[in-house]
Amino acid sequence: MGVLEALERRQMLVVTGKGGVGKSTVAAVLGRRLAARGRKVLLLEVDPRESLHHLLDVPPSGGEVVTIAPRLQLQHLDPRRLLDDLVREKLKVGVLVRRVLSSPVHQHFTEGAPGLKETAVFGRALRLIEGHVPRGMVRPDVVILDAPATGHSVAWLAAPRLISDVIRSGPIGHMASVIADFMADRARFGVVVVTTAEEMPVQESLELIDLLDDRVQRTPDLVVVNSLYPPLPEAPDADDGDPAGALWAHRRALNDRELGRLADHWHGSTAELPLLPLEPGPQLIATLGAHLEQASGSS
Amino acid sequence: MDPRDFPLVIVVGSGGVGKTTLAAALGLKSASAGRDTLVMTFDPSLRLKDALGVGAVAAEQETEVPFGGAGRLCASLLDARTTFDRLIDRYAPDEAARERILRNRFYDNLSGNLAGVLEYMASERLFEVARDGAHERIVLDTPPTRQALDFLGAPDRIVSFLDSGALRIALKPWFDAGGQLRATSRLGALGRNVEGFFDRMVGLELLRDMAEFFQAFSPLYDGFRERAIEVQRLLRAPDTLFVLVSAPGRQRVADTLFFARRLSEAGYRLGPVVVNRVHPTFPGAGGPAPTLDVAGHDGRELLRWLGERDRESVTALRSLLGGSHPLVEVPLLPDEPTDLESLAALGGMLGERLDDALGACRA
Repeated sequence: MGVLEALERRQMLVVTGKGGVGKSTVAAVLGRRLAARGRKVLLLEVDPRESLHHLLDVPPSGGEVVTIAPRLQLQHLDPRRLLDDLVREKLKVGVLVRRVLSSPVHQHFTEGAPGLKETAVFGRALRLIEGHVPRGMVRPDVVILDAPATGHSVAWLAAPRLISDVIRSGPIGHMASVIADFMADRARFGVVVVTTAEEMPVQESLELIDLLDDRVQRTPDLVVVNSLYPPLPEAPDADDGDPAGALWAHRRALNDRELGRLADHWHGSTAELPLLPLEPGPQLIATLGAHLEQASGSS
Repeated sequence: MDPRDFPLVIVVGSGGVGKTTLAAALGLKSASAGRDTLVMTFDPSLRLKDALGVGAVAAEQETEVPFGGAGRLCASLLDARTTFDRLIDRYAPDEAARERILRNRFYDNLSGNLAGVLEYMASERLFEVARDGAHERIVLDTPPTRQALDFLGAPDRIVSFLDSGALRIALKPWFDAGGQLRATSRLGALGRNVEGFFDRMVGLELLRDMAEFFQAFSPLYDGFRERAIEVQRLLRAPDTLFVLVSAPGRQRVADTLFFARRLSEAGYRLGPVVVNRVHPTFPGAGGPAPTLDVAGHDGRELLRWLGERDRESVTALRSLLGGSHPLVEVPLLPDEPTDLESLAALGGMLGERLDDALGACRA
């Protein structure tokens, strides 16, 4: 079975990984391909510096819903604003809303309480899947979240369970517990880890896989190895003196070594994507999409 | 780099650009030149711990790197929870207060998870080390953040947080000595509604944990505040040098300029901008771009294209930076440096290029 067939059945996919490995690129590729397969896809971005629009050649979201293709939409979320919206929705009375929003307790609590912002993002995604969509948005079959590269991506995925353990009563505690149950459901919720075949990214990905197992009892649905140099020819033009050829041989050997190390420790689905002579943009996304369509997902 | 000029070198940049590796390399270079040097780093990969020859013990205390250079090299691997626990050990007024904080459920969740704690703890640890003055130079690798500047804002945020006293004032009067929510509130009817809202939303149990935590923490407030101000001063000292690390590629140019401008505007001394892992240019490049079919399969064509792409982006960045900050290139190496020898070689190259860049600045 191709990797995309397995992923397209999920309702939410979180794309995560170390900074600089091409996480947003993979999120955009997945969005394009799942939409092409007939799923209605919403790409969610939370990093304050938006980048997905650039890869898909649309204007930046700035919080609005951007339609990229008939079945593909993009939205940037500000977690802080989601929490303020929650206050508005629950309190209703204008003077009380203003009082709460300007209260230092609210400000410091929403900034400081661990996991609250992350939980609010998952909560919004879940509501959209369940059909509570704002005007101008198509109800998504699948939400793809481009998670921030904080170096602590597992904190994102652990947040709802943490909140539901800490806040045991009230609507936030309830919401967190519903989300945590959703995220534990392998049929509905999936995790995609992106890495490159280099020492530090592979090391961090292996640590992330262990942490996911330990903290949220999840294994990734897919590990995408991005930016691989082309495989070396079987009969290399034995040292033809081309320094580019020598660097190629070294970098690809490093890729192969790290692919091997990954395979030693990770026995689930892996997809490989090539390093291409293309600037970030729609052509890169389309070309990588074609590669991902062919990836069999066998480990 | 003369350590009398720069006793503190701070390596900043977005995640994934190679800050940790370059900081370790700079540390080795500095120690090879005979300076007693400390490299402080965050959550580095296990491979780097291996390369530096320091184990998990370096998270607890500075550990000497077994290194046959002229000077001493120490490494310290920062971990938010360990630093936080240690801080409480040191500053809690008595054993009972210490136990109360360490056992608090809110603290238990907060210390390892709270966004910004790592950044703040880094500045706490920096303060301790700088005050002890045991090293001629400190090379600080900042935490991986999408914003790169989060770390620098941490002391400012903690000072504003403590000065506002928001949580203490807001939380204390909610509970009486028995831990029950007070029937009357200083905030009046409207205030009671607001409190009622928080109660409904998150429950009293959590609020009680938070109130207890901040009360238990209150003897530590003054110390926090003083240290945060001291760290701000240290970061803005004229002999503290910032090295901004970036990656090649057109889409990075705007980001790098943005960080450079923010650093300078905030009053930090930004020295060279290092573009790390630049693909070398090869003879025969610069002609028509290879087709995807060819370059997708022939690594030589791909590398020529990457070399051209990187050269163009580096040229663009250099001209946009103008004379304000020299640009230093570090080439993509055939193999990633993962042992002391390869790190030292990288450090030697980087050190020389930084010296040239700084010298050119002065001239």
